[in-house]
Amino acid sequence: MISPNRALALIFCASLLAGCDNNPNPPPFREKRADGSPWLVRFSGLSEDPREFDPQKMYDQMSRRILEPVYDTLLEYHPMKTDPYEVRPGMLEEIPKKEVSAEGKISYLCRIKPAARFHDDECFPGGKGRPVLAKDVHFAFQRMCDPKVESPFLSNFVEYIPGLQEAHDAAEKSGKFDYDAQKLTSIELLDERTFRLHLSKPYPQILYWLAMHCTTPVAREAVEYYDGKEHDGVTRPDFRKFKAVGTGPFRIAEYVPRQRVRLVRVEGYATTTFPTDGFPPAKAEWLQQFAGKPLPLVDEVNFSIIRENIPIFILTRQGYLDGMGVNKDAFGAMITPGRELAPKWRARGLHLEKDVEPATFWISYNMDDPLVGKNRKLRQALSAAYDAQTYSDIFYNSVAPVAEQLVPPGIAGYSQTYRNPYGFNLEKAKQLIAEAGYPNGIDPKTGRPLEITLDMVAVGSEDRQRAEFEQRCFEKLGVKMKISENTFARLLQKQDTGDFQLSSGSGWGADYPDPENFFFLFYSKNMPPAGKNISRYNNPEFDRLFEQMATMENGPERLEIVNKINAILAEDCPNILNFHKAFYSVVQPWAPRTQDNAMLEGGVRFATVDPVLRAEKQKDWNRKPLWPLAILGGLVAIGAVSAVRINRRRNA
Amino acid sequence: MEALFTHWLTQNLLVLAGFSLIAWMLWSASHHERWRRAWLRFRSDRGGIIALVVVGIYLILGALEVLSFPTKSGGTRTVLDLFVGGVPAEKSYSAPLATRLLSEAKPDPVKATHLLGTDALGKDVFVETLKACKTALIIGGLTAAIYIPLGTLFGILAGYFRRRVDDLIQYVYTTLASIPTILLLVAIILVLGKGLGTMSFALGLTAWVGLCRLIRGETLRQAERPYITAARALGQSHWNIITRHILPNVLHLVVINFVLGFSGIVLAESVLSYLGVGTPVGTPSWGNMIDSGRSELSRDPMVWWNLVSATVALFGLVLSLNLVGDSLRRAFDPKRG
Amino acid sequence: MLSYVLRRLLYAVPIVLGVIAITFLLFNVLQTPQAAATLVLGPKASQQARAEWIKNRGLDKPKSEQFVKHVKNMATFNFGTSWKSGRELNEVFRTGVGPSLMITIPGFLAGLIGGVGLALYQVFVRNSLLDRSITLWAVALMSVPTVVYIIFLQAIGALMLNYFPASGFDWRGLETLKFVALPIIIMAVVNLGSDVRLYRTIFMEEITQDYVRTALAKGLSSGHVLGVHVFKNGLIALITLTVGSLPALITGSLLIENFFGIPGLGNVLVLAIGTGDQPVVMASVYLGSLLYIASLILTDICYALADPRIRLS
Repeated sequence: MISPNRALALIFCASLLAGCDNNPNPPPFREKRADGSPWLVRFSGLSEDPREFDPQKMYDQMSRRILEPVYDTLLEYHPMKTDPYEVRPGMLEEIPKKEVSAEGKISYLCRIKPAARFHDDECFPGGKGRPVLAKDVHFAFQRMCDPKVESPFLSNFVEYIPGLQEAHDAAEKSGKFDYDAQKLTSIELLDERTFRLHLSKPYPQILYWLAMHCTTPVAREAVEYYDGKEHDGVTRPDFRKFKAVGTGPFRIAEYVPRQRVRLVRVEGYATTTFPTDGFPPAKAEWLQQFAGKPLPLVDEVNFSIIRENIPIFILTRQGYLDGMGVNKDAFGAMITPGRELAPKWRARGLHLEKDVEPATFWISYNMDDPLVGKNRKLRQALSAAYDAQTYSDIFYNSVAPVAEQLVPPGIAGYSQTYRNPYGFNLEKAKQLIAEAGYPNGIDPKTGRPLEITLDMVAVGSEDRQRAEFEQRCFEKLGVKMKISENTFARLLQKQDTGDFQLSSGSGWGADYPDPENFFFLFYSKNMPPAGKNISRYNNPEFDRLFEQMATMENGPERLEIVNKINAILAEDCPNILNFHKAFYSVVQPWAPRTQDNAMLEGGVRFATVDPVLRAEKQKDWNRKPLWPLAILGGLVAIGAVSAVRINRRRNA
Repeated sequence: MEALFTHWLTQNLLVLAGFSLIAWMLWSASHHERWRRAWLRFRSDRGGIIALVVVGIYLILGALEVLSFPTKSGGTRTVLDLFVGGVPAEKSYSAPLATRLLSEAKPDPVKATHLLGTDALGKDVFVETLKACKTALIIGGLTAAIYIPLGTLFGILAGYFRRRVDDLIQYVYTTLASIPTILLLVAIILVLGKGLGTMSFALGLTAWVGLCRLIRGETLRQAERPYITAARALGQSHWNIITRHILPNVLHLVVINFVLGFSGIVLAESVLSYLGVGTPVGTPSWGNMIDSGRSELSRDPMVWWNLVSATVALFGLVLSLNLVGDSLRRAFDPKRG
Repeated sequence: MLSYVLRRLLYAVPIVLGVIAITFLLFNVLQTPQAAATLVLGPKASQQARAEWIKNRGLDKPKSEQFVKHVKNMATFNFGTSWKSGRELNEVFRTGVGPSLMITIPGFLAGLIGGVGLALYQVFVRNSLLDRSITLWAVALMSVPTVVYIIFLQAIGALMLNYFPASGFDWRGLETLKFVALPIIIMAVVNLGSDVRLYRTIFMEEITQDYVRTALAKGLSSGHVLGVHVFKNGLIALITLTVGSLPALITGSLLIENFFGIPGLGNVLVLAIGTGDQPVVMASVYLGSLLYIASLILTDICYALADPRIRLS
């Protein structure tokens, strides 16, 4: 009988032998393309599973990252033009122009490119995909009105496109949306490829919505074929969950839940090509080689689902991921004080990319609260006591810029020189709080420090640190800041019912690059629980100016109104501004970035890769030292010898 | 109510009460034959004695952090603060015994020498580790205060009265034990809110099952003995039999279970921190330090002092408790050493 | 024997009902349907979308009606779909069992073999300095939190030595081993400390028996007595004590799975609690309780088989 010790050692060695390499990535689908050139693969990471592949439903970042290469949109953001953001034609032949009829009705005439096609799929007769038609756009809008689809986008359109709410309500009452009978007249079909989009009021931002996936055409055949039910003994996937029949340069080849998603190129894709203009001067020469080329540039994309930060960092260091966002902990390892890549990583050939996302974060006040809501000086005082720069220093390595105004960089109306009159200034804060009636933070009625509650989500250790930091800032004024910890669900609930004084972690990322998308959050007609005006800010003057600028075209007149709005918000202080979202990414030397557009979710179709360089570097970065095995062997030997010795001694 | 409980006078009295309780328990134990014999055996086990001393040190540290007195400016300071409290906070990380901050962007000189460096918010790690003793001991102590009476009581009741009572108690604890501990802990804490009290309550609720089963088994065995039957025949009441005969004979199991279980409770705190239902913001705790240490290890330069300090402190306490528990077991039953 | 098992299974029914009731209560106290909808759909979703979501899942019906439907579903193993990912739960569990077992079974076996081996070795060198230091080291092993093991071993094994992938999992024939090697080692190490102490106690008890003295007197070598007789007799006690932990192996360790990105069952429950995914939690708890009861019954059967004196009344 084998001694247990030996068995243990054998198992260990076997596992070691089998684990001879540390590459977690699966082998690609093919080695070479049909013409003999190498099959190019890119390796990226996702931090969570995608939620669904239904374009009318999906809203989360992971799903967007996967669907962006798979479903084309009617218009798309130009990948290189970011200041300001611009849309260019996607599936439409040109950007539709606004037309006003004799009766004053607004509409947009849209024509779909003949090249736009659905992918080959068994839901189509003969398994071949067909061209995208105007009725598919109409069908997409119908789906948004279907209660069973649970589209979160419907409410964005009902105010501007007539007939949508009625269609939805009728379907709710009857229990089922009748796609044949319930036609939407606002999407008027003129011929096979042409349709006219009617609006009930002016809304220039509608063009941005045509660049979003909720308006992308889907094939009715696909939705009806993939119903999730059993047919002939085989259960078909559900289009509303994880089945995509797309129109873009990639299709989804594989989704292994909690492991990975793999995309493979679609042969014959011709709807859009690599841009020919708008190249940033620094990269223009290098990008010229791709100008006008057919998409995509690579053949396969592998998204690994990795939930924790540490493995992502490790895998990037080992070269098994083509790039990663530099999170807080990797930051200290990779970035120098001069905000450049540390020499160790530069020597490896990595590039640093700096991105600013059109998003702002703040701490919300509850304007209905008897204490903070009614005392403007108190709000201003707390705002002036909050040190956003140090917050950014500690938690974002000073990368995230302090927010001086609501609108983030990159959006019209953002001013680089504007300073928040109630930004960090401790002296001013102390003065203000005295003027508010609480000198040194003491409540004269009770003689003790004023007590204020700050609600937040506190799940990880970092949340705790943030809470402690915020607490410390306010307590410099002498007030007592109580932290109320909640789960995410609980906090949302409290925000809905107005059961809070201050709420940390509020913020908004732009749906589209327009200031209206941000000011909307403080519009009095947008109160919770139906709307998102968490602060419950209600100012008729603000409302008037907002309504004025909401549908104006960008220009000096609009800018003037935006400035006035900013001044009002600064004085009324319904929130304490914190930071805009900026982050760094590192990119491997074999996978340089071709575009930096933050409105795109990865821009995978424009990505490129050099596989030879990658293979070389991976070998170089993953050498395996053998000395630990020697030590282990030594320990086992010592143990055996000691046992024999002791036994001999006992039997002597 | 809460104000009364956290008042420094109450806390000091509680510490004194706690130590007096321990002293009284030791004194009354010395009067029982079985305990005296066990003590003699325990005394000769040098390893156990050393471990006991170490546990004592932790206890004293914790007590020092609870004992507090009012200061002139209206706040309170703990006795521990007297020894180590004067250390100022830095802006952010700094290495042990370093002269400059860790940040490459602004390597300002440190305001004081930090034996084990500072953490993300600049607090001295050595001081934090010492202060976290109190948190660990409180959690362990409160949890014990909940689960020991519960477990012992129900265990004895189940083992002594058997039949219906036993069935009912078995049903309760099997059902409770079937629910994954994590879920129960997270749910209770989320509902009752975070805090040392609710954490201990939740942990106690999940820990009493093990003790209950143990006591039940031993009670079953004891109750079969002839002298118990004789006592019943002589007309002694249930209450008398339980308190005079059964209870003293199962108590040693309670003590051993407590000592060994204490370490498990303290370890559980670190898992709870990882899951997000650990101690509230601002409470120094080893679990929190380990949890933050997780991501700090991949920084470059590596921030290891937070994690290592908390781990060593935790390890020291748990190891000593385990050794003491082992020695106690050997002391009470040398054959099964 | 059969009637005994049947009776125990019958006892299990009220227990499982109790478990379902408690979790149902806990969950409905933890969050309202509104909060659940907001959590799943995201903060940008409209009120209308939330209301639809609630209605489509029958969460607006009275609680008692929901409870009855829930019990029926559990009884028929109809677990429904996850709120967060929309996947069929039966499929989630089915695909999750494999990876979990790939780690827990080898980890358990490694801990068992290592523990038994070390314990026998300790008995072999009993009461020597080596014996006591092994005990000390075993206790030390037990005193380190699992989280710390994971952090350090991941840093060393994956990052510094490049032996194993830092994260991920894939069914790839023999290559699958490389993904689970580190988790198995960690699992074994975590359990080794307590296992060694337990097994040492068992085998030391055997040593004191008369038959050992007889065998040695007959002239058999210590090694033979230890490796054959003591081992076999101790095995009975060992099996009885450890068989109860077998069913729990299916659920996997949630810490290890989370850190190494193993798509196993342990991960499922933790993620579900964090995201408020009620169907997943309910189903996991239900299955977990079934497994627990199975482990209790197994242990009792083993006791009865090993010791006929125990009456099965």
